[in-house]
Amino acid sequence: MAQGKILIIDDDPDITEAMTVVLENRGYQVRSAQDGTQGMEQLKKSRPDLIILDVMMRTSQEGFEFSRELKSNPKYKNIPILMLTAVKQKTGLDFKADAGDQAWLPVEEFLDKPVKPDMLLEKVEDLLSAREA
Amino acid sequence: MEGLLKSTSLIQRAYWLIKLRWVAIATLAAATLVAVRFMSVSLATRVLLTISLLLVVYNFVLYDLLQYWTRGGKAPSPTRIGRFLTFQIVGDLFILAAILHFSGGIENPFSFFFVFHMIMASILRSRRQSYLQATLAVLLFAGLIALEATGVLPHYHLAGFADHGLYSDRSFVLGFLFVFTVTLYLVVYMTTSISEQLHTQQDDLEKANSLLEEKDQVKNQYVLRVTHDIKGHLAAIQSCLEIVFNGMVGPLNEKQADLVERAFRRTTKCMAFVTALLKLTRMKLSGHLERERFSLKNCILSSLASVQSRAQAKSITVQYRIDPAVEDVLGESVLIEETLTNMLFNAVKYTPDGGQVNLEAMPDGDFIKVRISDNGIGIPPAELPRIFEEFYRAENARAVERDGTGLGLAFAKEVIERHGGSIWVENNPGGGSTFTFTLPNKV
Repeated sequence: MAQGKILIIDDDPDITEAMTVVLENRGYQVRSAQDGTQGMEQLKKSRPDLIILDVMMRTSQEGFEFSRELKSNPKYKNIPILMLTAVKQKTGLDFKADAGDQAWLPVEEFLDKPVKPDMLLEKVEDLLSAREA
Repeated sequence: MEGLLKSTSLIQRAYWLIKLRWVAIATLAAATLVAVRFMSVSLATRVLLTISLLLVVYNFVLYDLLQYWTRGGKAPSPTRIGRFLTFQIVGDLFILAAILHFSGGIENPFSFFFVFHMIMASILRSRRQSYLQATLAVLLFAGLIALEATGVLPHYHLAGFADHGLYSDRSFVLGFLFVFTVTLYLVVYMTTSISEQLHTQQDDLEKANSLLEEKDQVKNQYVLRVTHDIKGHLAAIQSCLEIVFNGMVGPLNEKQADLVERAFRRTTKCMAFVTALLKLTRMKLSGHLERERFSLKNCILSSLASVQSRAQAKSITVQYRIDPAVEDVLGESVLIEETLTNMLFNAVKYTPDGGQVNLEAMPDGDFIKVRISDNGIGIPPAELPRIFEEFYRAENARAVERDGTGLGLAFAKEVIERHGGSIWVENNPGGGSTFTFTLPNKV
């Protein structure tokens, strides 16, 4: 069984539930939050090893903003983020841009919705093992 | 009323005036020579030919000025080009008056050529300006006739054409000027009413057109919103179904597994449709294109690679020939590659096992032309014109694949046209069809 604490931040409760089932099935400990504010609270309560973050929540920017806030905070910037979006294929966002830059999107991985269970597990495993290494 | 016509059409008209002036100059020179040679009319030949020569220079200067203003596809402001037109028409009135003076004044029937200037003014300039031009023409011509009749200016008699005493015959001169004046004002009246009506209609059409475009944008926004919402729900349904289907929450019996799989497959198809619609709508809504240089050849090679396994599974041979002169193009490589891949997948999909798909890329003037042909089912001729419409699917295509989105070719058309190219399809004489698209070659 896999080890690790995962925080899912997504405003869609059904997607969250589906991902929770998949991840718990593999042995991960999963917590979830419906928006950035709740996410921050959860984060303070218990530090996760990985965050799965939806891009579009209440506003289309909330995910981006949350990731920037997190990565600007020295306390949390080492927690890897897996972002749920198809953004990598279509936008001109520069993932290498620096902090403070308009295009700065500081996340480690991307996954398009609908999330395929095996793809999800694969990416989560990769991110967690990269962190341990 | 300034700027009845758009800047571009005003420029066209300015060139048109210059072209007409060439004809007028040639006519002046030819008429002078013909009148002197063949009709034995006595004329101030030397003066008239000198005027012709000066006019040639004048017209070249106007032409160069216009070229200078419009160099490199620039468009001078409608005001500037309007003033340029006014200047030309006023100048021409003076020139015509001078020519008439040296060629018989009132005796010369070419005085009715003032009518042409009135027509031009009425088409190109405002109603008010046209009446002013008519007044100027009447004043110029009446002044000329009066000065000649009173002996202030010399009269050049057209011996051999008109009676000598005509120019100083009071009732003839007054009668002539009366008809002349009425003619010019009537011409302006008639022409301006027609051309203003046309301009109004043109404006109405433009307004209606921009309104339609606006409504189309609103519709696209609406589609984007609805589709995006549906996609969210679908994604959730699909995620839940897949977990159940994969047995992650316990084993299913055969019937349960079958039903869940059916549901899952349908959501997958629905997802494909919604994704394609989203992509097309986003494309229509976004005004800009990320333009960067990319190798079309690499793009073609990578779409050929993505279609390879599907083709092999159907024992379809895919051949290609890329002309070495096919170089970089400007645009969004992701979109072009997606379009190419789409078209290749279509070719493979609608070609029976063991068939053949050919891709050719070659330069064609300022464009690069890419042709994808197959020896598949082809397209019913009656349906050819509609094949690029959204949601349209040919009858025989529906027989091959029931649930296609009908959006692939609409997307291809949008992408190619956005890049400044065009796309079309033909049936091959021996069966199958050929899709061709072009992309601008200029980098």
